[in-house]
Amino acid sequence: MSSTLTREINIEQRQDHLCGYFQAMASPCEVLIDIAESSDISPRHSLWDEAYKLVSAIAEEAWRIEDKYSRYRDDNIIYEINHARGRRVEIDSETFELLNLANTCYELSQGRFDITSGILGKVWQFDGSDNLPSQSVIDACLACIGWHHVTLNEKYIHLLPGFALDLGGIGKEYAVDKCIQIARQQLPDFSVLINFGGDISVTQPRKTLPYWQVGIEHPNPEEQTQMMVKIAQGGLATSGDAKRYLLKDGVRYGHVLSPHTGYPVMDAPRSVTVAGENCTQAGLLATLALLQGAGAESFLKDQKITHWCLR
Amino acid sequence: MQLDNSSTNIAASLALATCTLLGSTPALANESVDNEWRFDTAILYYGETDRVSLVEGVISATKDFGDDHIFNGKLTYDGLTGASATGAVPQDTVQTFSRPSGHGGYAVAAGELPLDDTFRDSRVQLNAQWTQPLGDNLRGSAGVHASKEYDYLSLGMNGSLAQDFDQKNTTLSLGLSYQFDQIDPVGGTPERLGIMPIPTYIGDDYDDDHDDDYDDDHDDDHDNAYPDRNGTQNKDTVDVLLGLTQIINRRTIMQLNYGVSVSDGYLNDPYKLVSVVNDLGQTQQTLFESRPDQRTKHNVYWQTKYAMDSGVFDISYRYATDDWDITSHTLESRLRFNITDNSYLQPHIRIYQQTAAEFYQPFILDDSPLPTFASADYRLGEMDAYTVGLKYGQQLDNGDAWAVRMEYYQQNPKNAGFDEPGQLADLDLYPSVKAMMVQFNYQF
Repeated sequence: MSSTLTREINIEQRQDHLCGYFQAMASPCEVLIDIAESSDISPRHSLWDEAYKLVSAIAEEAWRIEDKYSRYRDDNIIYEINHARGRRVEIDSETFELLNLANTCYELSQGRFDITSGILGKVWQFDGSDNLPSQSVIDACLACIGWHHVTLNEKYIHLLPGFALDLGGIGKEYAVDKCIQIARQQLPDFSVLINFGGDISVTQPRKTLPYWQVGIEHPNPEEQTQMMVKIAQGGLATSGDAKRYLLKDGVRYGHVLSPHTGYPVMDAPRSVTVAGENCTQAGLLATLALLQGAGAESFLKDQKITHWCLR
Repeated sequence: MQLDNSSTNIAASLALATCTLLGSTPALANESVDNEWRFDTAILYYGETDRVSLVEGVISATKDFGDDHIFNGKLTYDGLTGASATGAVPQDTVQTFSRPSGHGGYAVAAGELPLDDTFRDSRVQLNAQWTQPLGDNLRGSAGVHASKEYDYLSLGMNGSLAQDFDQKNTTLSLGLSYQFDQIDPVGGTPERLGIMPIPTYIGDDYDDDHDDDYDDDHDDDHDNAYPDRNGTQNKDTVDVLLGLTQIINRRTIMQLNYGVSVSDGYLNDPYKLVSVVNDLGQTQQTLFESRPDQRTKHNVYWQTKYAMDSGVFDISYRYATDDWDITSHTLESRLRFNITDNSYLQPHIRIYQQTAAEFYQPFILDDSPLPTFASADYRLGEMDAYTVGLKYGQQLDNGDAWAVRMEYYQQNPKNAGFDEPGQLADLDLYPSVKAMMVQFNYQF
């Protein structure tokens, strides 16, 4: 969540690229534009103008998506849906397509990926303590979970009273992909990297070095440095957060919750990073892998995708 | 716990699903598509048997500047050639008439309806219209037009407001338009019921002469042919339209309009004639017509459209009446039948009937006093007419669309109760007009 006060963009020139940065979706966001071949550092006004235009357009799009799908606002479609009290709510085509993707993921994961399960996150406080919610609270939550109870078509969505949607598992990755489309349109001849808090996408390989090397927050909190990843093209996303867990009676409860049991998925990796065709696909694969628990690695291996799994 | 057997396809399934998501919902890409100009072009051929033929080209461009702020510009070109009925009666002998320019004349064979074959003109019209919302449920629109043909200039402007009620199920609209017309007749404006002069000569060489454009005729002869004639004449027209559109149910929409139109000024057709005949039906003189210089029209229009699973049916009725005593009824219907998802066939039928203007008379008897107003223009007489047509349209994969339309039109003027003295009883004073229309339309 970024307040409108912090909605500003900055651009600076680094060694062989221009970097624009701003805040969106509670994350630092970066736009890197490769100028390796054209970097004689003399003020290239037109290129700066182009870069400024691109970063502005990307920031606007990111803020638009944040405003539209954040569950921390009371003036958007998510709020309207979550407060409909059993009435059906009209949706636009963008929302339909996003929800339809969530539906695909629900089916592909046999119900493990469920955007109605966000309510569980409110009763599980992963603060490293031993405060587990009571079974009765979890049962109350489970009564309001289940994507199969949702009616969705191109015109409207209908939720049962008490149900709520949370697009947190898709929104940021989707924003990265939407913004990378803008980059492709506006600067078709440049390699552009977009990084929204570790969810990354690249338009095309760079001119001199083929890949971008970016630091993402290391999934292992014991590592003090960032984890460096190299990416030439496509999407990269991480799911999981090694800092968020509960510890009780010697059992470590990770923060990935099962919509079936209401409990954390046992034996899940601490985090999964996946490289995919686009950021949304990579993010969903990482999340689906986490939901497999102990089977995460074999799931990822079956998918024949580049991945990093941290246990 | 494993996913099902198809688990290896999940990456591919997600790649496909995300590409669908990103491909089909580009909020920005959509906007850029909407921001493009949309063109609609049409070419129409209209041909009456032995009379007027017209070729019309239209290009219309529309752009949505976002939030329903829409601009439309339209350019129309008409090329008109052929002959039209002058209003004079046929005779059982050869008749001669002077050209409108006053230079020379033409002969009409015995038994033939006199047609003025110098009818040739081209017209260019420009329209511009801007439409935008003025509030949550209020829309406004304003436009201008200008059209020019050789002897005619028309300038106009219009404005309208539309207010939605009852969750947009009901729309009330009010429209206002003003039009200024100026006619500068070839050879000057003839005097009302003035006698058409006998042509000074008729010869083969004349025909060559008149094949040149009106321009030549006009510039050379405007002043010296009829030095006593008046020049340009003006006409003002104000139209008011009140409309009600009501959604009846999911499939039915109904529209009801009431319109008033007041014209003031020169309403004659300077090229139309009336024959003065004796009791044997022989033409004694030919006069220029005379119409009142004011006309007030009222019309009521009702239309219902019904959407079926495989097409659209619409039916409409118009009743019009005016203080010239012309009352007309129009019944029209179309049935759009979708052959496939992107092609359709649309039959069309239109039936029209009108009564004659109070001053309409096919000729003037020489032993009766000269009326103040008289016109023998068949378009002001009693008639019925019908149109039958068929249209085929197709939407192309790239979003363009084309359509072709063919129509047959027949107009049957009728005797509104006039006795036909002498030879006129044996001549056809009310021949039918038959026309074919072909239109090709392309949208991109």
